[in-house]
Amino acid sequence: MDTASFIIQQLINALFLGSIFALIALGYTMVYGIIELINFAHGELFTAGAFIGIIVLAALQKTGFVESHFVITLILVFGMAMAYVAVLGVAIEHVAYKPLRRASRLAAILSALGMSIFLSNGMMLSQGVSDRAYPSILGIEGFSILDARITYGQVFIIVLSLLLMVALQMFVNWTKLGKAMRATAQNQTMARMLGIDIDKTIRVTFMIGPALGAAAGVMVGLYYGSVRFDMGFIYMIKAFAAAILGGIGSIPGAVLGGMIIGGVEVLWSAFLPSEWKDVTTFVVLILVLYLRPSGILGEHVSETRV
Amino acid sequence: MKRFGIFMLLLAFMLGFSSMAAAKTLKIGTLSPLTGPYAQDGTDILQGVKTAVAVFEKAGGIPGYDKIEVVPGDSACDGGKATMAANKLINSGVAGVVGAYCSSATIPASVPLNQANIVQITPASTHTDVTGRGFKQIFRMPPRDDVQAWSTVKFLEDGLKIKTLALIDDRQTYTVGLTENITEFAKEKNKIKIVALEHITPGDKDFTAVLTKLKRINPDVIYMGVYQPEGSLMVRQAKALGLKSKLLSEDAVFHPKFLEVGGKAAEGTYLTFAKAPETKERKEFEKTYKNMWKAKTVGSYGYYAYDAGMILLETIKKAGTKTNKMVDTLRNTTWSGVTGEIKFDYKGDRKLAHVIWIVKDGKFVPYWDPLTESYF
Repeated sequence: MDTASFIIQQLINALFLGSIFALIALGYTMVYGIIELINFAHGELFTAGAFIGIIVLAALQKTGFVESHFVITLILVFGMAMAYVAVLGVAIEHVAYKPLRRASRLAAILSALGMSIFLSNGMMLSQGVSDRAYPSILGIEGFSILDARITYGQVFIIVLSLLLMVALQMFVNWTKLGKAMRATAQNQTMARMLGIDIDKTIRVTFMIGPALGAAAGVMVGLYYGSVRFDMGFIYMIKAFAAAILGGIGSIPGAVLGGMIIGGVEVLWSAFLPSEWKDVTTFVVLILVLYLRPSGILGEHVSETRV
Repeated sequence: MKRFGIFMLLLAFMLGFSSMAAAKTLKIGTLSPLTGPYAQDGTDILQGVKTAVAVFEKAGGIPGYDKIEVVPGDSACDGGKATMAANKLINSGVAGVVGAYCSSATIPASVPLNQANIVQITPASTHTDVTGRGFKQIFRMPPRDDVQAWSTVKFLEDGLKIKTLALIDDRQTYTVGLTENITEFAKEKNKIKIVALEHITPGDKDFTAVLTKLKRINPDVIYMGVYQPEGSLMVRQAKALGLKSKLLSEDAVFHPKFLEVGGKAAEGTYLTFAKAPETKERKEFEKTYKNMWKAKTVGSYGYYAYDAGMILLETIKKAGTKTNKMVDTLRNTTWSGVTGEIKFDYKGDRKLAHVIWIVKDGKFVPYWDPLTESYF
């Protein structure tokens, strides 16, 4: 393997890891942008998505549907996982966050932590403590660029996550509901005075964010081949770091942050001692926050919020 | 005075009852990770011990006890949690402990158990320090790390006859013990050159960066010093990246889950694990276990845990619950179990060696025996 293909391969690895982090980070950033709450249960929503995916996929595989209708299978798996988790997201918002909207921010954060523990243990009890093998429908076939290999599964996942990100950006910028979301994020009281249904806007946010997390969960399951009830934790930490790095509240920021975290992790392991990769990731986070406290693309929260 | 008399009477009753109750139930404890990434193996161990208790009670139990109770402790593969769980077991008055799984949990947890002088049999931990610190009441079911490393190096030198080797570990006590021992054994004859030593983070899912690095070096064999969840993911990613190196791993990856998650990518992977004779008792145990837990397979450490539970109960039946007598009995008896003949040496280790297995058609198949240097 020559140096050029080595670098290409590592860039592919980084892009793949980064797009998954970015997709999860979007959920954090959207919720924070709207109600200034770190949704700690987001990692568990991601895991729940992966579990719904495996349940749907296993059911379809029994009937032989997967072989005959591959594309419909993928749509069904992603669609059902995202739909279920979107509903779950709204339910969580209703039960755990809505009653505390006027309470101190600490109470809401504690509620989020509690929700995270509740969901994680719920999945442990219902889905078991051990890894569950994902039916490997994506396979390991692929093609080579020089000597670097990329599988069709990886291409599919990268393309799908980029599409989802673009769709989200278009939704937020170009639709009426997206405009309402931006207005609510800027100033809730003012938005309410102008006749925006705040509750509805928050509900929509709690549908889209978790649904994107669920899509990431299915991707992780499909590509890596196993899911476990506690797998959300490590992704939560990385994605949370990505959201902060890019500037929490900013959608392009979350994508950029995810790509940077994925990139730093992979490229550090590629050229330097791999056991330091997590240290480096968080050193980068600290450095960026030191130089730009609101993140790379973050706005100065204190100025825009009255 | 009359009141005092009634009080004394009640007190006597109470003490009488409590001592009677204590005479009826025998408690044995387990330590294994019931939560966290290695919960599968931890559950296998707990179920193995519970199966032993069920079989033992069906065969007549222990005279003087009505019931045998298993007190589960969650070691979580974490030194601090394991020590806390061990203290809890000590306080609940267990007569002996089977556990723990990760060496990094077993070693710290063995300190309070040693101070309280309670017999401990580990069904899984292979680090040399587990029995290497002069504790008299600790015993171990599987072969040690240095034996495993020796078998591994022997296989690489004389079986596969390779020139270059890359090592991966996850920086935990058990895996570092293995990679260090392999490095030392490889240096002895100097037939194999170790070209890389990489470290991964336990709990991670993506190892492509490290594997790509190894693809570039292209060693003859990559040694995966990891646990099963990471090992299963690693073989898949190695296949997807198109690595040409052969993959070799160890007893923590040797689990039916590895075959399930690894799937086709696991084919051709070599692993080290002790080979037990296919006896009638072993088959019977498998049947009982599968029925009792509605399981399709028995986890690799379920066998060791069953044997550990069995010999612990046999010992108590023979020698009572006095630790010194139990230790004497454990040491001076040759037991026969589902993992072969069990005879402990002065350190508490068994004479048991690893063989090399290969994954073929979705099954672990014995491949090469380092003691006789021959294929099966």
